[in-house]
Amino acid sequence: MNKLILSVLCVLALIAAVLPRFADTVNGVLAEERVVNLPNDTAKWYISVVGNANDARYNEIVGWFSTNTSLKRLKDQVHFCPVTTNTNTYKERYAGNVKAPPTVRMQKPDGTVMYEASGKNIPMSAAGLNGALANSVTAERFLPWRRDVDRQLKDRQPDPRPDPGPAPDPDPQPIDDGGTPDMDNGGDADFLWLPAVCVAALLAGIACGYGKQLVQKIKTPVKAK
Amino acid sequence: MKRLLCIVTLLVMCVGCEPRFAADPPKTPKKEKPTVNVPLGDRQRNWLGNQGEGSCVHASIISLFRWQGRYHTADYWRNTYGDGEWPDDLAQRFDKEGIRYAYVTNGNVKFLEWACKTRRGAGITVMGGNHMVALVHLDAKWAGILDNNSVEKIIWVPRETLIAEWKASYGWAVTPVYTPTAPLPQ
Repeated sequence: MNKLILSVLCVLALIAAVLPRFADTVNGVLAEERVVNLPNDTAKWYISVVGNANDARYNEIVGWFSTNTSLKRLKDQVHFCPVTTNTNTYKERYAGNVKAPPTVRMQKPDGTVMYEASGKNIPMSAAGLNGALANSVTAERFLPWRRDVDRQLKDRQPDPRPDPGPAPDPDPQPIDDGGTPDMDNGGDADFLWLPAVCVAALLAGIACGYGKQLVQKIKTPVKAK
Repeated sequence: MKRLLCIVTLLVMCVGCEPRFAADPPKTPKKEKPTVNVPLGDRQRNWLGNQGEGSCVHASIISLFRWQGRYHTADYWRNTYGDGEWPDDLAQRFDKEGIRYAYVTNGNVKFLEWACKTRRGAGITVMGGNHMVALVHLDAKWAGILDNNSVEKIIWVPRETLIAEWKASYGWAVTPVYTPTAPLPQ
């Protein structure tokens, strides 16, 4: 009898210990005072699409991030920030540093601009924009020194054109930790092997040339003087 | 030997291209202070609700909604809710409205660190639990507070002072969990 009571108590204790772990989770974020699964998304990049809410071109570009498979995938990996010109966010944080709306800007978590295009410089198609953004990510991964070169070549002129217009809050993004986006690069990254091959060929050439000289030296009979 | 000299010359020429850019050392991005730099126009002031109570909790949350790009939710919240608020009641309202959020009422500092590190900020209780302000910055030394009774300036308090005040005020912290505004370009 004592063993039975002991067993029941053990089972109850086990249940009491396990239950709180599953209690009251809301959207995978909260369990009363136990905070679980909070997104540790400090390393996520940012993509801002800035423009007038009534501008067809702006709406088209924002729409690409929902309709184009690659851009949709990218959107889920970054902090996606559609910013309309009638908001205080635009007036205080974008108006002074974008050329002209619409603008697409990709930033690292520390604010470093990795890609920015405004007006007619924005690629004409979703695939084109994806390719351009992918190049920025690729450059960051494989050509980090290009970052400073690109920055020096940039020339930004503010041209704020606020224009009020209603737009509903976008659907919330998925909660995850994120990091540097993993993108479809549109095939441009296929040429990344080229510099490596060139260097390898150069080294091989030097080695062969030196080898030939070495062989000649060995084979050359010593001149008797 | 001539071939080797040619190769070396070519390499030197390639290296010679570098100083043009290398002379300018890479910039270290400046960290924005406060981390959650809510635009002045988006900072919600406290207001008296229908029951004549202050609405500091709602005001703090509305500022954070705007910072996290939820302008319409912010407007809806401003027009729908007001007066004083308790943690459980606010959680119920969030659940009812389908808001994605996180909160603690146990004074867990890690929550504040997470909220500021991910640039989302958090509403935190002060003054013995009688008031809520928005925590907009927390680093090793300082905490930045956006008080909805005076939204023009960020109030800077030593980190430990703020944490002690918060813990003595029931340690309630709450934040919506959406997309924070992008950092300023570097």
